[in-house]
Amino acid sequence: MANLTWKAAAAKPAAAPAPAPAPNSDSGPVKRNRRRLPREWWVGYLLVAPFFLLFVAFTAYPMIYALELSFSNWHGAGALRWVGWSNYTYLLTNHDFWSSLGNSGVMWLLIVPAQTLGAIAAASVLTRSRLKFKKTLRTVVILPYVTPLAAMAQAFILIFDTDFGAVNAVLKFLGGPQVGWLTTTTWSKPSIALFIMWKTSGFALIIMLAAVQGIPPEVYEASALDGAGPIRTFFSVTVPLMRRSIGFFVVVSTLGISQMFLEPFMITKGGPYNSSTTSGEYLYGHIASSDLGTGAANSFLLVLLVFLLSLGAVRVLRSKED
Amino acid sequence: MDSGRAALGTTSSSGMSRRSLLRAIGTAGVGTAAAGFLGACAPGTSSTPTALASASPSSVSGSATLWFNDDDLLKVFRTVVPSFTAKYPKASVKLVGVAIDTKLAPALISGAGVPDGSFLSDGSVLGQAAHLTDLTSQMAPYRADTVQYKLDTNTVDGKLVGIPWDTDPGLLYYREDVLSAAKVDPASLTSYDALLDAARQIKAANPKAQPIPLEQDPNLATQWLMMLVNQQQGTGLVDADGKLTIDTDAYRKALTWIKAVADEGLGARSKFAGSAQIAQADGGTVSLVPWAIWYNFLIQSSFKKSVGHWRVSQLPAWTTGGARSGVMGGSSFVIPAKSANPEVAWRFYEHAVYSPEGYRAVFGSNAVYPSGLNTALPSVKSALNGTSLFKPLAGLGSTSLWEVGTKASLAIPAGYRIPSWFDQAATTYLGANLQKLMDGKMSVDDVIKKSVSDIQTNLVDRS
Repeated sequence: MANLTWKAAAAKPAAAPAPAPAPNSDSGPVKRNRRRLPREWWVGYLLVAPFFLLFVAFTAYPMIYALELSFSNWHGAGALRWVGWSNYTYLLTNHDFWSSLGNSGVMWLLIVPAQTLGAIAAASVLTRSRLKFKKTLRTVVILPYVTPLAAMAQAFILIFDTDFGAVNAVLKFLGGPQVGWLTTTTWSKPSIALFIMWKTSGFALIIMLAAVQGIPPEVYEASALDGAGPIRTFFSVTVPLMRRSIGFFVVVSTLGISQMFLEPFMITKGGPYNSSTTSGEYLYGHIASSDLGTGAANSFLLVLLVFLLSLGAVRVLRSKED
Repeated sequence: MDSGRAALGTTSSSGMSRRSLLRAIGTAGVGTAAAGFLGACAPGTSSTPTALASASPSSVSGSATLWFNDDDLLKVFRTVVPSFTAKYPKASVKLVGVAIDTKLAPALISGAGVPDGSFLSDGSVLGQAAHLTDLTSQMAPYRADTVQYKLDTNTVDGKLVGIPWDTDPGLLYYREDVLSAAKVDPASLTSYDALLDAARQIKAANPKAQPIPLEQDPNLATQWLMMLVNQQQGTGLVDADGKLTIDTDAYRKALTWIKAVADEGLGARSKFAGSAQIAQADGGTVSLVPWAIWYNFLIQSSFKKSVGHWRVSQLPAWTTGGARSGVMGGSSFVIPAKSANPEVAWRFYEHAVYSPEGYRAVFGSNAVYPSGLNTALPSVKSALNGTSLFKPLAGLGSTSLWEVGTKASLAIPAGYRIPSWFDQAATTYLGANLQKLMDGKMSVDDVIKKSVSDIQTNLVDRS
């Protein structure tokens, strides 16, 4: 129908100097369109109905219910008891809540900058250099990402065991100290961060490889003609041209870290002394003890935090583009 | 971490608009929030346990689905089914392997896919009490034949909501070769002071020895502490009214003893069944283990060099003539209030737990455990007072696990209750403080004071 409308409008441009009517103006052809709507109005609704039904069932209703739950005291049985802002004030004044956020923040600092820079550098090397076995190397780096988390966690625990782990065995051989990688407050977070980098660097590399391969070779040729060395080219050409991919990766990583649960749960169970309890693990504690009202409030606070962090990241990226 | 990435896995890396970002965040947000409302379906309507009407045995008919964890115990209980169907020909049961810890609570809360009966750890029973059938009248004929503490762990507001299955008494496992080398007489280990002296003597003979394990997993360490405390005062964390029983002499005594073990270098810091602990125990570093009966699982499955050198006795007593055991673990059976066929479920559990035919099939020699199930004991007194259900363990030399274990099961003091928030207390609060005590970073008084304050504020007041 749209084509017919445009044809009708285009048939008399010379005779009518007035601009051709837009499809949504009150012109004749469009009026004819609207007259046909009553016969077909339900088709559109029918087409979008599955989405709306699923959205209401699995997103809207649960969200509204969880919102109600966050203002209630409910332990899984009986009627909800309205408690106003009590769950939120409890969390916002609770040391453990802030401590879990702090732990997640430290994890972010340990993981995201290092992993992002490392992935960019690795992607550049694997794309641009004349390395042999490039495909093999790519596979090796990506392998941990597709390996089951539970298996990797178990291997990691064995490798970093204080008494029998391979890492401490090497340190001992070299005359170094025996470190409680998973059992001391100093090392528990860095150890988990290392595990996550090991597990997810393949994903980071996929993103960065795609971005590096998208940079036209002419840009590098021009850069070389201008006398830029490899390091200058990396920071002045590669990194700026990968900005969007970097932004995407940082946002996705931030989302992932804010919800991180399985890794610390499997490796340190949040210990020692809750030093590696992340915000996701703290939230799980409420749910596991059936304190569902506090759990719902905790969820919304996390959603709000993630929303603000992501919005901030996008704004930073946009300002640089402008 | 992966879930957030998976949610965004199909998003293009280039040209990410704010709208697409917000959409993605919305998706992730829902995922986060979804974890917080398992009860997104209609909340359970029952707030008190529902009583089960009694039926005559001849009229028991129909089919029941019963949940077990998907492990060897499921296979063991399947061996009971033939004798059950012979007794109740019109009834049938389907035993299903399910991840009960994660799936039972959502099923009970939502009312969808509820089984007719389920295996459940004692620590979870009271938290689900409102969704369970009141079995007080059904259990009345069996109360006198059941170990009292198991009845206590399954009772809420005077109503019995679980059918006690096993007892997991605390015992003392020790290395006879290590004790002999250090000239320690095992018969002298009748008090915790004597146990401490024995540990000192062993360390004097071998400076590298750390005879007593100090558990590094906060939850398990708290369960261990509960064993030491229950042995003295009956209660663990709370009394029958739900009031905290932490600031007591029993806690002070147990924590002071643990601190002495830690401060004097007599404790080995490792996790149960971890490679470190296995090496410590198998290699002789650890030689005195006050632990639940199921420690023998390691002797049977993980130890090599030390097999045959282990022995078992009752726990030492805290006071002269005091109890020689405490509780550390255990499970029961529950029947959901929304069960479609509670009568069949009850009859199966009654048969499996209380009939000699049933408990002999479970604990005796069977296809799954040729020597019998010896990592737990029945909670039925007549079974505990009867002849041994399982064969002697080669790894324990000449000592009789059955004889020692049953005596311990019958000695566990009454009054133990496990609050619904036990796991959170055991990992985040008391458990974390106990770990600090073991690492020499907290005093006994501080552990008690801080644990009482944290648990009261964050768990008791909010339950």
